[in-house]
Amino acid sequence: MIMLNTIGLYTMFRREVKRTFRVVVQTLVAPVISATLYIFIFGTVIGTRIDDFAGVPYISFVFPGVLMLSIINASFASASSALYFMRFTRGIEEILIAPFSYVEMLIGFVGSAVTRALMVAFLILTVGLLFGAVNLVNPLMFVVYVAAISAIFAMLGIIVALWAESFEQLQVLNTFVITPLTYLGGIFYSVTFLPPLAATITHFNPFFYFADAVRSSMIGYSEANSAIGALVIFGLVVTLGILVTYLFRIGWKIRS
Amino acid sequence: MSEQIPALEIKHLTKKYGDKVAVDDISLNIKKGAFFGLLGPNGAGKSTTIHCITGIAQPTEGEIRIDGIDVVKDYKLARTKVGLSPQEFNVDIFATPEQLMDYMGGYYGIPYAERAARIEKLIARFDLEKHRKVKFQKLSGGLKRRAMLGRALVHTPDLLILDEPTAGVDVEQRHELWAYLKEMNEGGKTIILTSHYLEEIQYLCNEIAIINHGKIVAEGTKEEFMKEGKSVEQTYLEVIRAQK
Repeated sequence: MIMLNTIGLYTMFRREVKRTFRVVVQTLVAPVISATLYIFIFGTVIGTRIDDFAGVPYISFVFPGVLMLSIINASFASASSALYFMRFTRGIEEILIAPFSYVEMLIGFVGSAVTRALMVAFLILTVGLLFGAVNLVNPLMFVVYVAAISAIFAMLGIIVALWAESFEQLQVLNTFVITPLTYLGGIFYSVTFLPPLAATITHFNPFFYFADAVRSSMIGYSEANSAIGALVIFGLVVTLGILVTYLFRIGWKIRS
Repeated sequence: MSEQIPALEIKHLTKKYGDKVAVDDISLNIKKGAFFGLLGPNGAGKSTTIHCITGIAQPTEGEIRIDGIDVVKDYKLARTKVGLSPQEFNVDIFATPEQLMDYMGGYYGIPYAERAARIEKLIARFDLEKHRKVKFQKLSGGLKRRAMLGRALVHTPDLLILDEPTAGVDVEQRHELWAYLKEMNEGGKTIILTSHYLEEIQYLCNEIAIINHGKIVAEGTKEEFMKEGKSVEQTYLEVIRAQK
């Protein structure tokens, strides 16, 4: 029985951090610029003409969703591009021949993507705090939910990277599922503004719970049942974790 | 007692890709300290066999043991015993030789100080000092092969598998590499070598097997392959032509 390959996992994280800084404009600078623009537009241009939402300025309501969008993009892009590139160059064989269990492979790929997402989250949070756009009422809850949501999208990124046969296919899930559901998940508006049917449907959109959890940890305002939200988020983490471990175990698209 | 355990034991290995049988019920026993040449035409099943040993491919049937450890049931431990220099460059082309060795050493769980010392030795041994920080994609064919060998050796495996390690390497470098491989083998390391350069096999190996159409069609010591004054190449051609 071999213990957890901690040095191996650390090496996977280290390699991803190096890759993140190799394309730092794309991975870290771009999300920070976007967040700053959101603060300017929703805080100064539009926000000053909109009444407070649930007792908070509009920018404070929107900003957690903007941060969530950024961490979703960061974790999905990190996991999908890293794994797809490794499949493309056969660099994945370095991982396959090394002493990693299938669970360790999962931890390695997901942990690397979450590491990048956390860097993005803390940079955007810093921008938000500096401009006074947002608070952080529950730091522990913030870190846990950011990590959990990033893990979900890292695992979706892994599944897409395993399935995709071209760089274009890497964008399919993002374009047709993630982006629409994100924008319909109550990032820019309160679900209380919606007609009853639309509000009910929104409660079946997991992105509504993702945004609500991050918002709740940052400004203390929540529109969802927090227990259902936690169940959806951690249920997805566990379900996708089992699925990805299974895919690694059978070697789907990576082991001939 | 442990000396009786072979370095590699393959029992009735079959590997199918759909209906295509790439490896067909082969069995091999390679004793510790052997320098084993695995020969065969393109597509004969050499690389597939190597992939099954190292975990890149999953065997359809059969059993593979490295130093007595099952590569499927106890795959994590088995993988610590093997180093692979593959035929194709399966690397991040933006990484440098130093990084490739560092990452692979890390994957194998080697602590930083020990890893750094080994990398220094390998860089010196393979004369990569001037190229240690050059991206893989910018290296010549010979330097790429040396970087791959360094990567395969960074965790000091008991069993070293070299799949066409001198393809694209010039004559002088090839001879230097041969000397190094001989030195390692004399130091006790078990080596499996595939190559289309049969003089290389004849010079280095003491045991040889020929695989064709997924089956082992000849196996023996180098002396047996060279009986009656033949070269390994002559015997190889006779065996392959007899299969047609």
